[in-house]
Amino acid sequence: MASVGLRHIAKSYGALQVVHDVSLAVEDGEFIALVGPSGCGKSTLLRMIAGLEDITGGEVLIGGTVVNAMTPRERNIAMVFQSYALYPHMSVADNMGFNLKLAGVTKPEIARRVQEAARMLALEDLLQRKPSQLSGGQRQRVAMGRAVVRDPAVFLFDEPLSNLDAKLRVQMRTEIKALHQKVGTTSIYVTHDQIEAMTLADRIVVLNAGRIEQVGTPMELYRTPANLFVAGFIGSPAMNLLEGTIDADQDQPVVRLNGGSSIRIAPERRVRRGQSVRIGLRPEHLTATGDESIGGQTLLVEPTGAQTHVLFEFAGQQMTAVVDGDHPARHGTPFRAGIDRNLVYVFDGESGKTL
Amino acid sequence: MTDTTSTRRMPIGTRIYLYLSLSLVAAIVLVPLVTTALGGFKTLGDLRVNPFGLPSDWVWSNYVDILFGERYWRQMVNSLIIACTTVFLTLVVSSMAAFCFAHIRFFGANQLLNYFLIGLMFPAATAILPLFIRIRDLGLLDSYWGVILPQVAFGLGMSILLFRNYFRNLPEDLFQAAFVDGCGYIRFFWYISLPLSRPIVATVGIVTFVSSWNSYILPLIMLNTESKYPWPLGIMVYRGEFGTDWQLVLAFITLTILPTIIVFFLAQKHIIAGLTAGAVKS
Repeated sequence: MASVGLRHIAKSYGALQVVHDVSLAVEDGEFIALVGPSGCGKSTLLRMIAGLEDITGGEVLIGGTVVNAMTPRERNIAMVFQSYALYPHMSVADNMGFNLKLAGVTKPEIARRVQEAARMLALEDLLQRKPSQLSGGQRQRVAMGRAVVRDPAVFLFDEPLSNLDAKLRVQMRTEIKALHQKVGTTSIYVTHDQIEAMTLADRIVVLNAGRIEQVGTPMELYRTPANLFVAGFIGSPAMNLLEGTIDADQDQPVVRLNGGSSIRIAPERRVRRGQSVRIGLRPEHLTATGDESIGGQTLLVEPTGAQTHVLFEFAGQQMTAVVDGDHPARHGTPFRAGIDRNLVYVFDGESGKTL
Repeated sequence: MTDTTSTRRMPIGTRIYLYLSLSLVAAIVLVPLVTTALGGFKTLGDLRVNPFGLPSDWVWSNYVDILFGERYWRQMVNSLIIACTTVFLTLVVSSMAAFCFAHIRFFGANQLLNYFLIGLMFPAATAILPLFIRIRDLGLLDSYWGVILPQVAFGLGMSILLFRNYFRNLPEDLFQAAFVDGCGYIRFFWYISLPLSRPIVATVGIVTFVSSWNSYILPLIMLNTESKYPWPLGIMVYRGEFGTDWQLVLAFITLTILPTIIVFFLAQKHIIAGLTAGAVKS
């Protein structure tokens, strides 16, 4: 196990800079998730840590040592790929033991360690099979076994669950979390799925256009997003966003929305009259009991079981509310919901920063 | 979708056209082969008056004499030595060169590749005189190496092209996973690329083997001693100053091409798989 440090990391392809001055400290044994939309630079960053991509500027440290000039092998990292990247001509046991064989470990020791990892990942019955004879979930477990068997300083996961179906993805997510709790190795996990990041990580790094937008625990990002991008990215369904202008009503700040309605916001918000803002309302915060009432015609009802997603029109925009599964909302009928003014997020209209 | 189902769905007119076309192509290929094989069963006189028909009397001794003669088998061993060494060297050199072209970026890589590919445009026969002089200068005249080395050199262009295309189509993630596992380029080549490239190894091997096996001009120019002749030069023995035993020539040719045809039938799956590899996304 080891800590990982990124110091002012930059990456350019010719004149195109894709990662800008990224600095980050990952504690020993921590599970960090790098999230962001496609093309935000998260996989490039991971590959720079792995040594698969040249670093244009800055330093990568593993266990306190600068590893920029080291090969992946010398960095003592293990990586799980989106495509699993299993060697098709080798059996499961050979796939798992290949890195040990290259390292000159003796055959009995390889067999012992492969057996141990196979037991941990329930792969004992599959050791003699070829990758083509395995299901997607089994292949993913072999890919993890290949990483576990060498006892690396850092695990790197590059969207490892993207190729699995929804049910298997949830199952494998649990297995990855259990594995991390068992071995406690420092892990860096790249995903574009914020649910995966929220459920797995100790801390999440939100990236956008090659820059870090915010670093924090899942609940910090959810409760106190630093800006509009993080607020929109974290949370499912996504936060409802409305444009408006700050005004006052009985000495209390309100946001006059473009459609003519207004919503009161918490007095602690650092806003000034006339300021252009965007407000954010989380769908799950729209309840029957909130003090700020909003509503409109129901456009769509999506039952998901325990909860129902109601899409309705408000201030000329489509909004989403998450209500109880047995809520009587129906298409075309009026829908009303309330929200606590303290749960209304306010962002600067120009910079997007949280106010 | 199988060929059978696609054929069944065709209209009758299309099917008749298809079978007639295929029969014509098959006839063009088979008639010389069958004529050659049948010619080997005839007497010289019979061959002259009846070149395409069945033999008046089946003269088995033409084939039997060749099969039980020492020359036929010695020349087969010569052919095997030359062809196998050519295949081995071509596979080793072209696979390693192609791996570099597929995976390593270096200054002038494209120009160097083009240089190799230019070789595709020159048949060995066009370069035979300078080749003869160079082989003579190297002291390799009348030796197996005088035939093997030019054959390897002329085969490199096509072999490198086939290998390179195949290597480039191996998933990039495999390369990176192997790199993380501790492979360098050489270990990746040996442990991952080569084992995954069996179809193309088979293709290049077979194409090179057949080319070497059928080679006539190069051994004719480079070899003088009859004991070193490969099979294709064996027919020269039956050519005299004032006449040629054509029935023996035909029997000899039949016996020399037979192994090639058998090998092709056994390995055609690999040859076609290798030639079409990378044509479509798998």
